[in-house]
Amino acid sequence: MTDATEVAAAASNRDPAIGLAAVASLRELLESLEELQVGNARELGWSWQQIAESLRVSKQAVHKKYRRLGF
Amino acid sequence: MFERFTAKAREVVVGAQAEGKARGADAIRSEHLLGSLVHVPDTLALMVLTGFSVTPAHVLADIDALGATPSDSEALASIGIDLDEVRRQVEEAFGPGALDRTMAARGGRRRGHTPFDRSAKKVLELALREAIALHHNYIGTEHILLGMLHSETGAAQRILAARNVQQHVARIMVEELVRGKRAG
Repeated sequence: MTDATEVAAAASNRDPAIGLAAVASLRELLESLEELQVGNARELGWSWQQIAESLRVSKQAVHKKYRRLGF
Repeated sequence: MFERFTAKAREVVVGAQAEGKARGADAIRSEHLLGSLVHVPDTLALMVLTGFSVTPAHVLADIDALGATPSDSEALASIGIDLDEVRRQVEEAFGPGALDRTMAARGGRRRGHTPFDRSAKKVLELALREAIALHHNYIGTEHILLGMLHSETGAAQRILAARNVQQHVARIMVEELVRGKRAG
């Protein structure tokens, strides 16, 4: 987004349809980025403990979430 | 029941996967079967559609018009995040397509498989029923088309009805075409 006034207009929009869609898309983006970074960290030999600390979550949580992807 | 499908009918079913995926769908719906149906050349289904003056281009445009939900990039732009820029930066570090390749981006599904939803399954079920009703011992593209002309099949039916493709007329056309032609 390059046009600042346009961003400001959209961000101040209180239409729930727009706001909620933005949150949903943001969550999906977050999940993709997290997966990419966790996979990369594992490839570089990071332990689940180290990854968990950086993500500020429990080791169990991150292990449970990504074990199935074979990281 | 798949063994009763003609080669072209199988092409339609397999192609629906690509059609749904290309449209970013989380499930294969009846409109993806329809989109795939008009992509397979030289079929009885296309001959029937031609009889109603409906072209593949019409159908594909109608399917395009269904997808009116805002894209992720539009939604994120509303809170000041440029998804294209994020994607560019990520790909610089992790290679082309890195972000879209994640399981999360693919909706948590295994690569290559998108499930058929109720409307798509209904089309195939009704295609079989149409074939049986016409005493045909195979399922061709023409039966898949007839299967779409039932109200339970969702978007495909709505698109065809809006284009004036009438069920009873289509059935007669199929009967006459099959009498003179090979199944397709």
